[in-house]
Amino acid sequence: MTEAILRADSLHKRYGELEVLRGVTFEVGRGEVKVIIGPSGSGKSTLLRCLALLEEPDAGDVMLGGARPGRAEVGMVFQRFNLFQNMTALANVMVGLTDVRRLSKREAREQALELLERVGLKDKTEQYPEELSGGQQQRVAIARALVMKPKVMLFDEPTSALDVELVREVLDVMEGLARDGMTMVVVSHELRFAHHVASSILMMDQGVIVEEAPPGQFFSAPAHERTRRFLALVE
Amino acid sequence: MVASFDTHLFWEALTSDPYWKGALLALGLATVSLATAVVIGFLLALGRGSRLRTVRGLVFFYNWLFRATPTLLQLIFVWYALPQVWPVFAGNWFTPFEAAFVTLSLNEAAYMSEIIRAGLLSVDPGQELAGRALGMTRRQILRRVIVPQAIRIVIPPTGNEFITLLKLTSLASVISLHELLTASQELAAVGFRYPESYLAALVYYLGIVSVLMVLQDRLERRYTWSSARRRRVAAPAVPVVAHDAR
Repeated sequence: MTEAILRADSLHKRYGELEVLRGVTFEVGRGEVKVIIGPSGSGKSTLLRCLALLEEPDAGDVMLGGARPGRAEVGMVFQRFNLFQNMTALANVMVGLTDVRRLSKREAREQALELLERVGLKDKTEQYPEELSGGQQQRVAIARALVMKPKVMLFDEPTSALDVELVREVLDVMEGLARDGMTMVVVSHELRFAHHVASSILMMDQGVIVEEAPPGQFFSAPAHERTRRFLALVE
Repeated sequence: MVASFDTHLFWEALTSDPYWKGALLALGLATVSLATAVVIGFLLALGRGSRLRTVRGLVFFYNWLFRATPTLLQLIFVWYALPQVWPVFAGNWFTPFEAAFVTLSLNEAAYMSEIIRAGLLSVDPGQELAGRALGMTRRQILRRVIVPQAIRIVIPPTGNEFITLLKLTSLASVISLHELLTASQELAAVGFRYPESYLAALVYYLGIVSVLMVLQDRLERRYTWSSARRRRVAAPAVPVVAHDAR
């Protein structure tokens, strides 16, 4: 196994009375794809938000290659896309480069166009989010995160807000990324995707990781009763 | 039917200097007051969301003070009482225009802060989250993402405020500012020609507000981010601001 690039060390997080993360430790090696599944409320999204530094854990550390992650070193893709509504597809992808990376408009534009082409949206650059389908919006969102050259990409249920016929185009982009060696952590219930792409699958429940195993083993012989029950429900 | 309406006199009033100047003064006063109120109101709106209790308390006090008292009383207070307790305002520089400007902008800021706050809150929290995930600072997110989207929401109620403000400038007639109402009162006093004098003032107000409505429509299109920009802009879901007698 390759060296760990992203590591979460006994993360704890509570919102008032509710303890959402109760000691989550796991790591992702360079080029690995980890898929997290689990019932709603199990802490999957909170875990991703802690990894992306969008939430400060109450205890525990997040380390990226041995240090605290820097700005946009961990890319995040949201369930509801969250594209900036007041910007075109192109401007959405450029803004991180111009405002955070301080690139010139021209350079930013070039790189942004390249990324939009990569996700198959070369002809939609001047459209506003409102004018794009959910699948197209999510692909723009992926391009927006990727253009920052993150070391790790996090996906928080990237296809669950999409109509069924639009899921494929987003999964295709993600599979392409995985093939190119991007390190990814994906919260998703697309089990077929998990089966094909994941290095390993993690089952979360009640704020802890119940089980982690490579897909073959995870699906054919889950070690835990909780995983078995959950898989029976999703499939 | 209208036995005693002198069209000629009406026309003369409409085109006379005092009316023109009065209208310009009213429009100018409303414009600078609104512009100032937007700036102060924006800061107040940010203050309302502050983590510091004291800041939130101060904003609450400000809004309470200016919304719970009649604008006319505030105007009279600023013009007559303020110079006696604060000698700076006793200087020659402090004309009725300045007094009206200070009063109206401070007063309007209280209302604008509520409108701007509602606008900022109406922006989907996911927008800020996405900005932070990209590594943008709070200030960048505000400037590039949240404020432009809030403007779209804030334009229609701000248009209302501008109209209210324009009409409120007539209050300044009591501190002898030569705005529209003063002009018409003076003309009316000369020949007791009330219908002609006051109708001319009404026409000015109607004209100004009509132009403003066209400008507002353009501004709304400017802040609509879709091809719908070129079509008619649908009215956004905005909480209706109750219009009170100020």
